[in-house]
Amino acid sequence: MTDFTLWDIARNLLLALRWTVLLSLVSFVGGGLVGLLILFARIARPRALRVAAKLYIELFQGTPLLMQLFLAFFGFGLFGVSVPAWLAAGIALILWAAAFLGEIWRGCVEAIARGQWEASASLGMSRFEQMRHVILPQALKIAVPPTVGFSVQVVKGTALTSIIGFVELTKAGTIVTNATFQPFTVYGLVALFYFALCWPLSLTSQALERKLNVSHSHY
Amino acid sequence: MTYTFNFDWIAQYWPVIVKGILITLELTFVGGVVGILLGILCAFVKLYGAAPLRFVVGAYVELIRNTPFLVQLFFIFFGLPALGVRLGELEAANIAMVVNLGAYACEIIRAGIQATPKGQFEAGVSLAMTRLETFRHVVLVPSLQRIWPALSSQLVIVMLGSAVVSQIAAEDLTYAANFIQSRTFRAFEAYFVSTLIYLVLAIVLRQAMAGLGVLIFPRRSSR
Amino acid sequence: MNRRHFIARLAGIALVAATALAGQHAAAAGLDAVEQRGTLRVAVPQDFPPFGSVGTDMTPQGYDIDMAKLIADKIGVKLELVPVTSANRIPYLQTDKVDLVISSLGKNAEREAVIDFSDAYAPFYNGVFGPKDSGVSKPEDLSGKTVGVTRGSVEDLELSKIAPSDATLKRYEDNNGTISAFLSDQVDVVATGNVVAAAILAKNPPRKPEPLFLIKNSPCYVGMSKNEPKLMEKVNAIVAEAKKDGSLDAISEKWLGVKLPEDI
Repeated sequence: MTDFTLWDIARNLLLALRWTVLLSLVSFVGGGLVGLLILFARIARPRALRVAAKLYIELFQGTPLLMQLFLAFFGFGLFGVSVPAWLAAGIALILWAAAFLGEIWRGCVEAIARGQWEASASLGMSRFEQMRHVILPQALKIAVPPTVGFSVQVVKGTALTSIIGFVELTKAGTIVTNATFQPFTVYGLVALFYFALCWPLSLTSQALERKLNVSHSHY
Repeated sequence: MTYTFNFDWIAQYWPVIVKGILITLELTFVGGVVGILLGILCAFVKLYGAAPLRFVVGAYVELIRNTPFLVQLFFIFFGLPALGVRLGELEAANIAMVVNLGAYACEIIRAGIQATPKGQFEAGVSLAMTRLETFRHVVLVPSLQRIWPALSSQLVIVMLGSAVVSQIAAEDLTYAANFIQSRTFRAFEAYFVSTLIYLVLAIVLRQAMAGLGVLIFPRRSSR
Repeated sequence: MNRRHFIARLAGIALVAATALAGQHAAAAGLDAVEQRGTLRVAVPQDFPPFGSVGTDMTPQGYDIDMAKLIADKIGVKLELVPVTSANRIPYLQTDKVDLVISSLGKNAEREAVIDFSDAYAPFYNGVFGPKDSGVSKPEDLSGKTVGVTRGSVEDLELSKIAPSDATLKRYEDNNGTISAFLSDQVDVVATGNVVAAAILAKNPPRKPEPLFLIKNSPCYVGMSKNEPKLMEKVNAIVAEAKKDGSLDAISEKWLGVKLPEDI
């Protein structure tokens, strides 16, 4: 077996980091799209839709992401659908992220004063038009900081896909550890790479939030 | 679909599941109590401590909140022995949970304290309370009450996150599912049952925290 | 933008989500499916040297990987290597994520109930390994010791039967965990394959897994879904031919340093 230099370790981890980034992007964007559907269902007029969305959120927020990954991973096959590891991981992460994003955004939509619904309705706008022209633009503004903040959770969530065998940063860490016998260095580096990925997102989220609070205090 | 579901294994393996539930609860309890205390301490340091201390606590909070729990766990369990610190899997899991919740609790509690109007502190002092009494009655307790729901949610998140401690052979509920899976090859059923149990645990924990909130913060109208 | 546009956009979003969810549908199973697809999906270890591990460029290498290459070549299809852990390799097969498991898989009654096995293709002796001064030379000596083992492996199932009741078995998810636990001194001894321990020993690790006692002679078989007679026939024919023409001996010499023993 060949010897790993520190550079070999870092290089292999960096290569695996690409998968972490890709999986995070897919989960975040996909989760956002499904999350929008959840949001619309959650604030829809029909009670059945609202209840269904609430159940969805409870289910995904009330069970471990790891279990969701396992179930997606071994579940699809049982129902005659064959999905490769990365797709099962992606689907589970998307559904999980959607539950959180949908709930975060519902909070933002509801924070926009109720009176605005009535005002825009009195202008003869349909519910979709109200949503599109009045509520969403305002809700969007206050939704950005917590949404960016949640992206950190998505990046960290991808670490769990290592357990179902997806070779991303964490899995690469365990594999390299066994080839090098240097768990302290390897896991230290892995943590550092995650930090390098997440910290800028956290800082951005905090900065956006401060900016928003400042601009709000002008009212 | 050719697969037939089979839950017969429950009859034989339920003690493994019960043991797993107990370990998950134990981890959550220790993580919750010690983690929240650590969070209060860190929030206090971050707000009122000396600059170097503030920096250390700040670095700790950012480091933990921006790395995955699984990696923290691996680092503590597999990495620290290189420095001569050897912990059993339960100690390692407990410490990882305390350290993790502590960082989140610190930020939640700090935000709660900062939201306390300054005037209230002065009002307390003018009532001839000592600074410590004022801090406790006027700042800390109302702040905790204000952020209790956020703290409860975080505790549920940490409880669900504890599923990964099975990776270092701590025998929690997820370990039970994995163990049963490796003996019966009923992967889907084993994970399905344990997922349901986690869901029940999450609901119960949320209710328990709400009840505890009422108990700890009586005589104050909920906001 | 008018209302219709907005609805159209929403529908688009729903469609994307639905397509993502649908995934690919499972085609016919067994050898026909493999030939139709043009790819053989094989579950291999990446944490189990010399059967499967990674080089400095992270590409899989080892006995099992060469075996997978050989079988894919003979069937005349492309090879897709799917890295698995010991704990989940059988569910991979059950849920149609792979066609074959070539992952130093030993045979036992529990496994035979859910999957089928080919003829043996590699020798494998599992045992207990650890520092020479651990004072362990037979199962009874494990009393009071902690033993690291990979959950669901043959070692795990056997040791669970023969270890004294006051021995503590620490069952890790995969071999990475088991080996890391031993190397970072989290367990006293470790139960694994003889060649695995030898491969680790050769890398001169901080703690040395010297052989202490053998548990079982448990050769490796190719695992596949139940009731796939055509696939079974094909794999067995390939294994038999490889034994005869010396290609399996070559793989064995390359990774284990010896020719295939007589009993395989």
